[in-house]
Parts: sequence; C-alpha cells; structure tokens
Amino acid sequence: MPANAVKKPVSIQKVILRVLLYFVVLDVCIITLYPYFAMFCTALKGRGEIFTADGTILPITALWSNFIDIWSRAPMAKYMLNSILVAGGSTLIAMLCGIPAAYALARMRFKGQTAFLGFVIVSQMFAPVVLLIGIYKVMMSMGLTDSIWGLIFINAAFNQAFTIWLLRGTFMGISAEMEQAATIDGCNRLQSMMRVLLPVAAPGIVTTLIFIFINAWNEYTVALCLISTDELKPLTVGINVFNGYNMIEWQYLFAASIFAIIPVVILFMGIEKNLVSGLASGGVKG
Amino acid sequence: MNKTAPSKPALVKKSAPQQSGSPARKVLRKVEPYVWIAPSVILMAVFILVPILSVFQMSMSDVSKAGKIKGFNGIDNFAKVIKSPAFGLVLKNTLVWTIAVVVLSTVLGFVLALVLNNNFKGRKIARAIVVFPWATTLVIQASAWNFIINKDYGTLNTLLLRLRLISSPVNWTPTPDAYFAWEIACGIFVTVPFVTFCVLSGLQSIDTTYYEAATVDGANYWQKLFKITLPLVKSSLTVSTVLNIIYVFNSFPIIWTMTKGDPANYTDTLVTYLYKLAFYNGKQGEAAAVSVIGFIILLICASAYMIYTLRKGDDA
Repeated sequence: MPANAVKKPVSIQKVILRVLLYFVVLDVCIITLYPYFAMFCTALKGRGEIFTADGTILPITALWSNFIDIWSRAPMAKYMLNSILVAGGSTLIAMLCGIPAAYALARMRFKGQTAFLGFVIVSQMFAPVVLLIGIYKVMMSMGLTDSIWGLIFINAAFNQAFTIWLLRGTFMGISAEMEQAATIDGCNRLQSMMRVLLPVAAPGIVTTLIFIFINAWNEYTVALCLISTDELKPLTVGINVFNGYNMIEWQYLFAASIFAIIPVVILFMGIEKNLVSGLASGGVKG
Repeated sequence: MNKTAPSKPALVKKSAPQQSGSPARKVLRKVEPYVWIAPSVILMAVFILVPILSVFQMSMSDVSKAGKIKGFNGIDNFAKVIKSPAFGLVLKNTLVWTIAVVVLSTVLGFVLALVLNNNFKGRKIARAIVVFPWATTLVIQASAWNFIINKDYGTLNTLLLRLRLISSPVNWTPTPDAYFAWEIACGIFVTVPFVTFCVLSGLQSIDTTYYEAATVDGANYWQKLFKITLPLVKSSLTVSTVLNIIYVFNSFPIIWTMTKGDPANYTDTLVTYLYKLAFYNGKQGEAAAVSVIGFIILLICASAYMIYTLRKGDDA
C-alpha cells in the first residue's frame, strides 16, 4: 500500500470514502451497543438514581451488589439451571433425531423424500406462538404442561427444520466416497456414518448444535404460556419477576438480563461465520 | 453454486447393486431410510403436526373455556373473529409491522453488508458487535428499549439532554402509533444482523475477477453494484427475506413486552391478539380461527418460498 501511494497520488475521493466508511461503521457499532451500555449502567445504579428525570448516564457509584442481590431476591440459580436444562436437553434430542434424518436425506433415495423435505420446510412457517392453543392441548394430554420436559420437546421439535436443513447441507457437501470405502471394508451404514462422516462434518455439527442451544435458551413464548410454577421457569421468563405490574426494578431486571445474554453472545460469535454460510447456501440447495 | 449435488445420485446408484443380496436384504434396504428418519418424523408429528390439526379442529368447533370441544360449529368462529371491531385494526397492524420491519431491515442489512464487506481495520470487531442483537433474546431487547424510551426516566432523554441536543425531556411515545413505531424500530434493530450476515456470506462467495474485469471495461460503482453484486447475492437475499417474513409475522415477544398490544388493540398483531383471546378471554375457538387466518396468509408466502426452493433444486 505505501509503495503504491508514492507512485500514485492518493485521490481525495478515496480518502473521503475511507473516512465515510469509518464514520458509518462507528455509528453502527455505537447504536448497536447502546442498549447494552444502557442496561449495564442501569444494572449498576441504585433505585433512586434510576427514577429521576434528570438522570445520569454513568452510575454515580457502581453498585456491584446488584449483581449479587438478584440471586437472593429471586430464584435466579433455579432459572439459570432450567435454562441450561431446556437448552441442553432440546439440543440433544434435536440432534439425536436430526442427524439420522439429515443423513438419510443426503445419502439415500426413498419414496416420500420430497414430501418429507417439503414438510420440514413448511414446518418452519408454524411458529409455536400460532400453535400455542394446540400445543397446550397436546401437553395437557401428556401431562407435560408446567414441566421442563414439555419445553425440551417443543424446542427440539421446532428446531428440527433448522437441524435437518443445516446438517443435510453439510453432509451433501462431503463426498460419499470415504464412507463407501468404509462399507467395503465391512462397516455398516451406522458405523460408516459415525466413524467417517461425522468426524469430517464436525464443524457443521457444532454450528448446528450451538444454534439450537441459543434458540432454545432464548425461547420465551412457549415457556411463558406453559410454565406456571416459578421454580420451573427459564431465565427469559423468570427475570420478569423484577418487571412487576406496580413496580419495575430496572437495576435487577438488567443485572439478571446480563447473565442471560453473556453466554449466548459468546457462543454466537464463535459460530456466526459457519452458521451464515450454512443458512444461505447449504440448506437451500436442492 | 452447487458443486457437489450432481455427483450424488451416481454414487448412490453405484453402491446399490453391491449390497443387494437375498430378498430379505432387499426389503431391509427399502425400509432402512424410513428407520433413519423415524425419530425426526415422530418428534415433529407429535409436537408440530398434532397441534396444527388440533388448532384446525378447534377453529371449527364450539370450545368451552376449559378447552373442551363441544361440537362442530362450521365457520362460526371465523365469522365472530372477522365481525369483531378489533380484527380489522389488528390485521392492519400485522401487515404494517411485517412489511415495515422486513423491508427496512432488508434494505439496511444489505447496505450494512456492503459496508462490512470492505477491508478496513477493526472489521472483525465490527462484525462481532453487529452480531449482538441477533444473539440476544427478544424479551431483553424489548425491555431495554422500553427503558431507553421511557418519557420520565429513560436514558435516551438523559443522553440527549447531556449532549445538549434537546433542552427538556421529550415524550417519545405520546400516541399508540408512536409506541407502535418504536416497536417496529426495535424489530428492525434485531432483524438487521440476520440480513447482513446472509448477504455477507453471499458477497464473500463472489469471485473478485468479475469486478476486475468490469473495472477494466470502465464500469462505475453503481453499474458494478446492480450488474454484478445484486444478481449474485439475490439468492441469499431471497432466503433471508422469506425467513424474515415468517419470523416477523409470528414475532410475539417485542410487542408483548413493550405494550401487550394495548391500548385497546392499537398495537396488537395477530399473534398477540390470539394469545389474549385464548389465554385471557378464554375464547379458544376464536383464537384458533385467528391462527388459521394467520396460516393462510403465511401459506401464500411459504408456497412462494417452496416454489423458489424446488425450482432451485431442479437447476442443480
């Protein structure tokens, strides 16, 4: 770059474009981070400091104790555990059901294949919220309302489409030759999948896994509707104890929210690149 | 785009004869794929298909407050829903909400993707930051914005006062419409990253020699944008748009957290409306009818999506 700059005079237009670029990027970043900044600052404030018209931007004195208080003011540890159970459980079930299905779609030919794929795609159209009445009925008949298991199954089912979609794309991107060689060596399909395909497909599998985990962790509507016992609520619903009808404890609500956000954001940044290429190309390929 | 698919059928055929032995084995091979998809089929049948059927059944039944079906009543529920004065407003809100969020997010997300596709210092950090709203659960996003725009103690007023951009606190939500506009803004805020990353992935797969050739031929920036970039990211844009239509149409947490559809249905969309009908007012039959109306609207979008996807499959 510098060598070039000496030969060709840097055009003014280019400099302006660069400055403009940084200006836009900086603005976008500031706007994006602003709610998180506001949440964090508020989480460190006292009640009195929040509810004034002439407020402060940064807390006058940082009340780190808010982050500790929430654990005793509400069953935060229970909420956290429930979120982990729901997200972990539904990820496990979604993968156990989704991997074989994606494998069959990628490697086998069978009657009804297009119909199955069609249903998978169309099922994405039905968000749980539109089906809540139906879901509630099914759960009633199975005794799964107000149960962690109910949430696990619903999240697993509604993430099937994504699981199959992403994994099928991943599997189809991997040549079947290795598996065939393994079959000739005496492996059956299950063995060849487990020993040959899955290790190669590991990056795609991890991406899918984390994505389902995040979806289930962030799920709100079904949990709001199905869970009535406070001790069984996941974080997304549970933290609203601080958001009462008469009084909102913003400092606690946001302190608790930060605990709900951080794990997911970290996970997301790890998979963002793979996930997007999977979404945009892998799955939609015919 | 699709490099691997054409070789696949050939491979499957090659492996077939070598394993076919006795008739029993043949039957086994025919059944095998169904065994592989069975767990997934059962999971989706029980927890998606059964609820769908149940909703359709309820939409045409007289349902008690406790959820017991008391008998078939044809289109009564639909008639009641459509006749109720709130329904037109709710439908209008749903369309405004969906179209505004999807269109604006797509435009902004596309532009942001073009910006982030440039080479600049701190690009990785910028991309990581843009991911934040996508990863954060919608309830928390909505709570944060609710706090920010509060007219009495919200931080937006504080910030603007300190920066001396305003001289006295502004009431950001004087009317239900204003509140609805903020909800749309929040919807856009959380939807943009998804579009951005879909488009970015499309942009990164474009061969740079196209641009070099176009530059040699004397094409300007806009010509390159419309003649090269846009056609090549079209498929990414279509995917993100169709998925967003579905997600945004069905989006519940933002509106529920910020206004619960109040005052008097002014900020309700179909999903918050049906939630209230079913779980607050005990009108499950009518709620089911609203669900079915929602399906029908989305079905039109989904079939467009299906046609697109299947046609793409034929091209491969």
